[in-house]
Amino acid sequence: MARVRMSMEDYDYLFKIVLIGNAGVGKTCLVRRFTQGLFPPGQGATIGVDFMIKTVEIKGEKVKIWDTAGQERFRSITQSYYRSANALILTYDITCEDSFRCLPEWLREIEQYANNQVVTILVGNKIDLAEKREVHRQRAEDFADSQSMLYLETSAKESDNVEKLFLDLACELIREAKQNKLDNNDNDRPMPGEGKTISYLNCCSLT
Amino acid sequence: MPLPVTDVPATQRLALDCRTLLDHRVGKGVCGCCGALRPRYKRLVDNIFPEDPEDGLVKANMEKLTFYALSAPEKLDRIGAYLSERLSRDVARHRYGYVCIAMEALDQLLMACHCQSINLFVESFLKMVRKLLESDKPNLQILGTNSFVKFANIEEDTPSYHRSYDFFVSRFSEMCHSNYEDPDIRTKIRMAGIKGLQGVVRKTVNDELQANIWDPQHMDKIVPSLLFNLQSGERTESRSPSPLQASDKEKESPVELTERCFRELLGRAAYGNIKNAVTPVLMHLDNHSLWEGKTFAVRCFKIIMYSIQSKVGFNLTCPHPQSQHSHLVIQQLLGHLDANSKSSATVRAGIVEVLLEAAAIAASGSVGPTVLEVFNTLLRQLRLSVDYELTGSYDGSTNIGTKIIKAHEERQLQEAVIRTIGSFANTLPTYQRSEVMLFIMGKIPVPGVHLTLPSTGSGPEGTRMIQVMLLKSVVQVTAGFQTTNMLTALPSSFLEPLLSFSLTEDPEIRLLVLQILLSLIDRHDNRPKFSKICIISDISVLKLKVDKCSRQDNLFMKKHGQHLYRHIYLGCKEESSGPQHYETLFALLGLLSVELANEEVVVDLIRLALALQDLALSTDEPLPMYNRCAVHALAAAYLNLICQLTTVPAFCQHIHEVIELRQKETPYLLPEDVFIENPKLPSSVDKVEGGVLFLQSKITEVLGGSGYNTERLATPYVPQYTDEDRLSKRKSIGETISLQVEVESRNSPEKEERTPAEEITFETLKNAIVDSVGMEEQERERRRQVVEKFQKAPFEEIAAHCGARATQLQSKLNQIFEITIRPPPSPSGTISSGYGQSQSRSVPIYEMKFPDLCVY
Repeated sequence: MARVRMSMEDYDYLFKIVLIGNAGVGKTCLVRRFTQGLFPPGQGATIGVDFMIKTVEIKGEKVKIWDTAGQERFRSITQSYYRSANALILTYDITCEDSFRCLPEWLREIEQYANNQVVTILVGNKIDLAEKREVHRQRAEDFADSQSMLYLETSAKESDNVEKLFLDLACELIREAKQNKLDNNDNDRPMPGEGKTISYLNCCSLT
Repeated sequence: MPLPVTDVPATQRLALDCRTLLDHRVGKGVCGCCGALRPRYKRLVDNIFPEDPEDGLVKANMEKLTFYALSAPEKLDRIGAYLSERLSRDVARHRYGYVCIAMEALDQLLMACHCQSINLFVESFLKMVRKLLESDKPNLQILGTNSFVKFANIEEDTPSYHRSYDFFVSRFSEMCHSNYEDPDIRTKIRMAGIKGLQGVVRKTVNDELQANIWDPQHMDKIVPSLLFNLQSGERTESRSPSPLQASDKEKESPVELTERCFRELLGRAAYGNIKNAVTPVLMHLDNHSLWEGKTFAVRCFKIIMYSIQSKVGFNLTCPHPQSQHSHLVIQQLLGHLDANSKSSATVRAGIVEVLLEAAAIAASGSVGPTVLEVFNTLLRQLRLSVDYELTGSYDGSTNIGTKIIKAHEERQLQEAVIRTIGSFANTLPTYQRSEVMLFIMGKIPVPGVHLTLPSTGSGPEGTRMIQVMLLKSVVQVTAGFQTTNMLTALPSSFLEPLLSFSLTEDPEIRLLVLQILLSLIDRHDNRPKFSKICIISDISVLKLKVDKCSRQDNLFMKKHGQHLYRHIYLGCKEESSGPQHYETLFALLGLLSVELANEEVVVDLIRLALALQDLALSTDEPLPMYNRCAVHALAAAYLNLICQLTTVPAFCQHIHEVIELRQKETPYLLPEDVFIENPKLPSSVDKVEGGVLFLQSKITEVLGGSGYNTERLATPYVPQYTDEDRLSKRKSIGETISLQVEVESRNSPEKEERTPAEEITFETLKNAIVDSVGMEEQERERRRQVVEKFQKAPFEEIAAHCGARATQLQSKLNQIFEITIRPPPSPSGTISSGYGQSQSRSVPIYEMKFPDLCVY
């Protein structure tokens, strides 16, 4: 079954996830670890936005991931990507106090530009550099709680929690999408997950 | 594999269709065995794929498929769906050869079928393009883009309800920022992104059902992506025009492509959309701090201005003329400038520079309905900049207060603002220009009289700087200003405050005023001909353009002539006047004689020149030697000019004689020797007399012979002090207080043309106080005598006395200045009227400036 689905590229849900956060906190590395399974050692700064796609095997979910540049000068173009996002991964670097302190500023941006149904998750990256940690876990958890966000610590280098991050997010999004479908079936409000089943039969043409 | 069912009868075809229907519903596992029942379109599609993908599309079979699709358009959507399905599979299996073939087939079908049924087919088509774009292989992305571009160029006649281009906008914008390692591929991806965006715009711009492409959510992606490429291309281009780039010159470079796309986008923008398109540009320039560099910002806005301009070319029915469009852009720039009031001077200067360029491009009148608003903004910026420069901080700023303000940057900004004001003014029609001049004039602070702009505590220095800046702006506005009607173009409300500035002590301000007057009066481009003050033996070399003086001109001179003469006279008298002042004064005199002179004006001007000579000779005036010589030289140069203009031979002869004599004996009285770097001046001008002077009597005589008004000529010119002195500020603020006391003279109101006025400086007030004790003594004595006289003398004697005085007054009508002040406390009313008093009385108070006749 899985193979058929693969071949037909159909999916039940389609989610757009956008990563945001200060420059150099490891957004691109998280995405590449998840979609390509590698950790590029000499990753350069992202220019503007980057796009990657991966199909996740929870009810055939497809995840479109827009990775954004953290640099201030690209702010205007990255902001324009928030609006259509179903989920935002707000990333900071646990070894960099500054990137944590900027979080309220990012939250303001989210409030201003993103859809108000967006699912936001806070991610502290680079836990492999535990000895250089500057932001205590408890502090980050408290902050996430106060903003009613999920919180997760990851390492793109060691691949810690990266899968979990995206899969958790996917589950959450699916849950919300279903709930929304039940709640607002007659409502024409845009729903997260624009995916639909496509069931054209085609078996003979294989092989 | 397929059965030979080439010609299927209709019934059978129906059956087949039903089977296809079943195919969708029933099992996926029944493959192979029912191959014979495969619908025809599927077989046709399958046949276009060769065994080996290297062989490419099977042309013959493709033709069959096309023919089938054309003859049975209702099948088109199924063909599309099937093709797209195959393509998805091939992508997933990395069989890229087949992907290309499928895409080619799709393109061909799309091109072949320009019919209504294309609508459903397009769904599948777009799905496939999207699939290709989603892959991470650059080749597939580019392939998908190319197909999309082909599709975008097809004009569909039926709009589509459920098509969404959001993904395409996002993805193409992202491709524009591609970060691919290999620079060649990176360029290709970026170019594909640009073309894709162009395609989306073309596709959606005219489709009313589509999500509005001009919405900020799309524009905020499209515009920065284009600008990013425009800018990054510029960077690489300037770095290396390598031979490789030169070799594929025939191909369009990314920058050129981007520019074309950007132009197209703007060209399509309707009035209401301009704002959404320009806002991201401003944001992009902010974010990437591109205002400082200026060149890129200027380039962007040049593109914008020219692109929206070109709109009128092919859209004549457009309800809004294109100038409205450029007006909108300019307004946005102005708004942005205001929003950046607290940014560094370089940023503001950049924006102003862009404004300057934009205004130059905009067609006339494009400044739009809110002309004054434009100038108001610019003047406000000027004001702010002066404040920043003087106070050294952006007061009230929250987080950038620590920034150091660089005075020279502010200066540059001020210069830029002034140039921009000029540039704007040049696009305006004459009537609006004089309005603007009046507007700026109203903003110039006249100390002690009225402060239009709230003072921000920068003090007198700030006021002076503002005055200089605003006058410079007026200079810009008036440059090239030509009017046929001086009276309406230069109302008293403009001229009077302007002239009052010509009496300030500040030489810079005086010079500016003179320059403004020059450009206002010059209507035949004669001004450059008077740029150098010298004795010209034959003025025909100047090729002066002279028109006959119109009625309005005559009226103008009648109304304002006296003011102008007076200001020239007083301007010469200022100690701080330098060579530049005398040169501009000469130009002013010259222009007056060329532009506005009738016979009467010529006479007045000659009188003025002679009065100047008297001024230079006068021992009462504490003029430095340089100024004396300069005034002499000015009078000589001007008389030389006017005598040739009048073409009275005897007049010319007299002037020439004097000049020749001066050349021999007193060269320091001629402009050639005075207006040089280190003029050799004598220690005194005592021996200047006789032949080296111009003689009033001689001139009167020779001109009288040619029908000029000799009576007028014979009367020496004396500057008249008028009401407007009140506005002027002879001493700078803080040093003295200028007061004016005017009391109507009681016994001769009907004889006075002007309201008598007298200026009392601090000095005179002080004198008055010091002398007052002794004076009171005198005064009492005098009054006693007067009373006695009136009481004792017979009536006839008193009457005769008064009558004599009256006739005397009559004869001196033109020179009389009535000076009256309130008598000291407790005056006796009867004495103060009807009796002329000795002149010596008023000496200590009035310093005997005028031939005064004090009638108490």
